[in-house]
Amino acid sequence: MFELFGTVFEVFMRTYPGFLEATVVTLQLTAVGVILGTLIGLVFALMKISGSKILQGIANVYITIIRGTPLIVQIMFLYFGIVEIYTMSNFWAGAIALGVHNGAYIAEIFRGAIQGVDPGQREASMSLGMNRKQTMQRIVFPQALRRSIPPLGNQFIITLKDSSLVYIIGVAEIFSLANREAAQSFQPFESFIVVALYYLVLVMIFTYLLRWYENRLDVDKT
Amino acid sequence: MIIGENIHKSFGDLEVLKGVDLHVQPQEVVVLVGVSGSGKSTLLRCFNFLEMINEGSITIDGKKVDPKKDNLTKIRAEVGMVFQHFNLFPHKTVLENVIEAPITVKKMNKEKAKKLGLELLEKVGLSDKADVYPSKLSGGQKQRVAIARSLAMEPKVMLFDEPTSALDPELVGEVLQVMKQLAEEGMTMVVVTHEMKFAKEVADRIIMIDQGTIIESADPKTFFGNPQHERTRQFIQLVE
Repeated sequence: MFELFGTVFEVFMRTYPGFLEATVVTLQLTAVGVILGTLIGLVFALMKISGSKILQGIANVYITIIRGTPLIVQIMFLYFGIVEIYTMSNFWAGAIALGVHNGAYIAEIFRGAIQGVDPGQREASMSLGMNRKQTMQRIVFPQALRRSIPPLGNQFIITLKDSSLVYIIGVAEIFSLANREAAQSFQPFESFIVVALYYLVLVMIFTYLLRWYENRLDVDKT
Repeated sequence: MIIGENIHKSFGDLEVLKGVDLHVQPQEVVVLVGVSGSGKSTLLRCFNFLEMINEGSITIDGKKVDPKKDNLTKIRAEVGMVFQHFNLFPHKTVLENVIEAPITVKKMNKEKAKKLGLELLEKVGLSDKADVYPSKLSGGQKQRVAIARSLAMEPKVMLFDEPTSALDPELVGEVLQVMKQLAEEGMTMVVVTHEMKFAKEVADRIIMIDQGTIIESADPKTFFGNPQHERTRQFIQLVE
């Protein structure tokens, strides 16, 4: 047991300069995935509640395809598909795949949050003479955004972990580094323990920040 | 002020209003009573176009409303509504709740709106709560804020949909007090309520709705003293 601690520690000490660099890549992937996913999610959520059958149809097709296929397939598809028509680094191919993937889940989060706002809020707003747009902008969206923060936070954590899958197209993020380390050093077990610890710490930091933000939002305004 | 003629409203196969005629005079206080499911709340919501009628017509302040052509937003701005569950905006402070519509709809400047908002909060006895969020208020306080919020649009008529039904008994009085004061100031009001004491004291007319039609319409004294319809007699016995 102590022996294992020793070797894990030794692998950790030998690899941390590389891992720190790779952590930056992982965080960049996550950031692009989250921001792009949020933008896409917002657009498709609005399409879904638009009342237009065509827009709803497009959104439904997108969400069905993305949720119905594995992320790793989407990454490969984007990497080999897009690179055919537009030259793109593997980092961007991976990051965009993460964003497109996330967009479908985040669209559902936003849609649920918007539809979850008490209908009485809309009625009160309309009864005061506010039109549909004003009601959405000033009454429904601010409340929906607040409601969507906990599930969004959860989705961000999933994105952070899912970013490991882009190792398949050779992006130098932390999982690919661990994978290489495992093969080269003949210490696969220790290497994967080390990478697991990196993910764990990152997720814990994320979780803590999210909880702090949620608490700050909730003061007075539940 | 409000003329409803031959109002029909159905939800799917269920016909809730079966040809209701109701004329509300300016400054009149009309109380609608009836057992739950009788259609009284639906009628109220039709007057504010939160529900669209299937047949008949509604005239507000001399203008016959065509829901297809007219700007309903503008009409709603002239008809205040107070809901059973208050429906205050939880992400806005009490004052922000009150001044939201004047600023957004009437484009009133912020300083003027604030002044108006504080006056209205004073009127409902809540000027000290201007900067707190609704979650910190009691039910009675929330409803008084909701009334102030409606008044901020200077409506020509106020609709109250069971304004005290969601309140603890000890908080009912403060809301009725505000409503009574409004009535005394000459506000035209249509009130759906189970508060018979309020109806007796404040109403000019009490209307009994049963199964989607008006079966009794009389001043409070006649309504309680000499009801014409058997169902009204039963109802009065139940509530008293």
